[in-house]
Amino acid sequence: MPTGRAFRIHLLRWLVSTLLIAISPVFAQPDSEPQLEAAYLVNFLKYVEWPASQRNSSTICLFGRDTLGPFLSGHEGRVIGGKELHIRRVSSPDDMTNCQLVYIPDVEEARIGAVLRWTSGMPILTASNADGFARSGGGIELLRTGGRVQFIVNAEMMARKGLAPSSQMMRLANRVIGGER
Amino acid sequence: MFLNNKIQNILGIFYAAATIALALAWHPALAAQDDDLSLEDLTKTEVSSVSRRNQSLSNVPAAAFVITAEDIRRSGAQALPDVLRMVPGIQVAQVDSGRYAVSARGFNGRFTNKLQVLIDGRSVYHPFFSGTIWEYDPIPLEDIERIEVIRGAGAAMWGVNAVNGVINIISRHSRTQKGGLVAATLGSNGQRQLYARAGGSIDADTTWKLSAQGRHAEPSKQLANDNYSEDDLNNGVVDFRLDRALSGGSDFSIWANAGKSSLGDLYPLTPNPLDPSTLIPVEISQKISTQTLGGRYRWLSGTGIESSVQASFGSSNIELKDALEVSNTQFDIDYQGRYTFAEHDLLWGASHRTVSDEVWARYVVEIGAAEFTQRTTGFFIHDNWTLIQDTLQFGLGARWDQTNLGGNTFSPNATLMWTPTRSDTIWAKYSKAPRMPARAEFAVTMLTGYLPPTLSTPPVVFRAQPGSTPLRQETMEGFELGYRSQLTQQLGVDISVYRYRYTDVVSSIQGTMLYPVVISGIPLAIQNLDRCNCGNGWLSGAELSVDWLLAPTWRMQLSYAFTHVDMDDSANPIAQAHGQKEEDSTARHYGSLRSQWNVSPSQQLDAWIRGSSGVDRTLSPYTTTIRVPGYVTLDLRYAYKLNKDIELALTGRNLVGPRRVEYVTDYVPATPVIIEPSVLLSGRWKF
Repeated sequence: MPTGRAFRIHLLRWLVSTLLIAISPVFAQPDSEPQLEAAYLVNFLKYVEWPASQRNSSTICLFGRDTLGPFLSGHEGRVIGGKELHIRRVSSPDDMTNCQLVYIPDVEEARIGAVLRWTSGMPILTASNADGFARSGGGIELLRTGGRVQFIVNAEMMARKGLAPSSQMMRLANRVIGGER
Repeated sequence: MFLNNKIQNILGIFYAAATIALALAWHPALAAQDDDLSLEDLTKTEVSSVSRRNQSLSNVPAAAFVITAEDIRRSGAQALPDVLRMVPGIQVAQVDSGRYAVSARGFNGRFTNKLQVLIDGRSVYHPFFSGTIWEYDPIPLEDIERIEVIRGAGAAMWGVNAVNGVINIISRHSRTQKGGLVAATLGSNGQRQLYARAGGSIDADTTWKLSAQGRHAEPSKQLANDNYSEDDLNNGVVDFRLDRALSGGSDFSIWANAGKSSLGDLYPLTPNPLDPSTLIPVEISQKISTQTLGGRYRWLSGTGIESSVQASFGSSNIELKDALEVSNTQFDIDYQGRYTFAEHDLLWGASHRTVSDEVWARYVVEIGAAEFTQRTTGFFIHDNWTLIQDTLQFGLGARWDQTNLGGNTFSPNATLMWTPTRSDTIWAKYSKAPRMPARAEFAVTMLTGYLPPTLSTPPVVFRAQPGSTPLRQETMEGFELGYRSQLTQQLGVDISVYRYRYTDVVSSIQGTMLYPVVISGIPLAIQNLDRCNCGNGWLSGAELSVDWLLAPTWRMQLSYAFTHVDMDDSANPIAQAHGQKEEDSTARHYGSLRSQWNVSPSQQLDAWIRGSSGVDRTLSPYTTTIRVPGYVTLDLRYAYKLNKDIELALTGRNLVGPRRVEYVTDYVPATPVIIEPSVLLSGRWKF
């Protein structure tokens, strides 16, 4: 039998850790914008079909200044839609050949044109939170509207790359450019 | 022993299970992580966080800080320098109703000559005064998208004078400013501000925006006698922007900006015949006007080279009534290229600037050549080389500048960045940066100090003048280290430390003495102080910023900087005193704690505690030193959104603490004034 003292210590440890874990969701589960954006990117992998290939993993590439890395790192190695997820930072066209999704943060707004050109003709889904991204030829634009993060789909651009967004995704989009819902 | 272990194991399992069960029972949300939410759930999730944008710059090998548009609005600040107070390592001191002293990493002054300030890539550093003039509004705060502040040398990219820091102000794209907006503020001490904006699109690819802002403040009270000073402020600025997206990822933008500012001051200048220990203040009116027209074209070549060419033409006029008038015309052209291939991210550029000035001076100021044209041409190249994918990056860069005032400069820079995990970055940076003495330092002769008479000596006037050997560049060379970590999704920290060596800092030594010279009927002695590159010293410091999302609707941001200037001793008493002044006039401790709380979707309550340790400054033009005491003060802001387009806000600034001065000017003679508490009511209507 443990001594009374040891038991008290156990009880105390249990109480403290329970309290910490119980309280932490109250204080530590905010749905911040980058957190939601990160969740969206992971989700898109489930709702978009890429041209058939032998790959057994999916890669989300973060272009330029890394604003979502800390929020995506927890997803590294998870299995999403039957494929293992990898997160990578990229900065040049050569880096992007193995990406399924390239995310360009709004702070890299000046370089969006370049990334879109580098990825044109490749089965790569581009996403960004920059204003006007979908309209200027990007795949998916994340936007904040009415206290929520929503998305615009440029269906025409995705079709041109052989990417097929699911009908459910089209239905949930805030707006669809160049396509039928 | 064995039994004990077994019981411990059982207890362990029990307590783990109980913990999880309890936690789950209390918070079922814990079981469902964001990524397990369906797309449908995501579109319905309310964004409860307080900040619109994450400020992470986790993969930059420099001490960087980003101020977002929301930070600006929630700061309650009316002037740009007040916004910069939240950046660790930036020291801001309000001089009077319109003037500010802003510095990065020490050496604070009215014109901080080691800090470069750019708006959309265009420098607003004044080449004559060698520093930024903060009293006019170069751009309305509402038109700023974000401000990126990089402490430490940026000369390898931005050229001379980016020695201790670079402030990059990025204006909002006109695409995000469609429609109309009116914002008005009324406050105590006669503070008024009105901003109006209209924007629209010409076609699907072309958008424009026109905005105007006016700002007024009544004079402050003098420290010495509570009488009103003459710092009556009237500022106006008009800003236009047009953006057009072209095919193939290229675009162009046009900016036009005009500003005007009038601000008075009291210069103690005239010897008092009744009491020779004092000088009679002279009312000075200062007028500034600026005009700028610029454009930028960005394109992408077939080989994947990103290019940008930017040109601007501007003119400005600064007039201190009856004492000084400086007229400038300025032409800038700048090319930048970027090519990313394999493991390299290569940046290069070239720029040319021509500044023609015309100076008229009398009374306390004399100028060598009344007209001068300075031409500066420079180019830079920088490579970021990824040694290990996602883990290790090496950066190497340098810039060369050639100018007809002061000579050529070379600014190298090397960085190493290690990101062991996605949430941690450790970086090191070596840099060397030059500061080129300004036109005013080369050519101006100016009365800067007054020593009242004693029984045996006449009054002495100190006169700063060019020395016998022409000035050359000041040089800074040093190391920085930084660590940045997103400890949890809610808690991020950013720490940097640095040590810099400064050589050939502009100082002065004792020159000839003239006696007697009769001014206003009083015989006095003039002691010349000859400018020289005879200062050397060390600067070291540390900066900390913590960003903590305590609750979905509550964010805290802490920033703190420790700065220590240690100038070398000099055998020359004047140079020694100059060095001592540099040491004593930098606040050792400077920091702030901001709290942003979204009480409800329509209400915000923000608090900002700010503080600085005290400094000793020379009360120009006297040679006496006065203590500017340290302070801790509080700003509060409550905002209420009537609907998605109308917001009202009540702001209190400088609410606690004893009455105080924040700054005493030690070069240009001035009358210290009190920074008083103020209350402001603002309304913002978007339509």
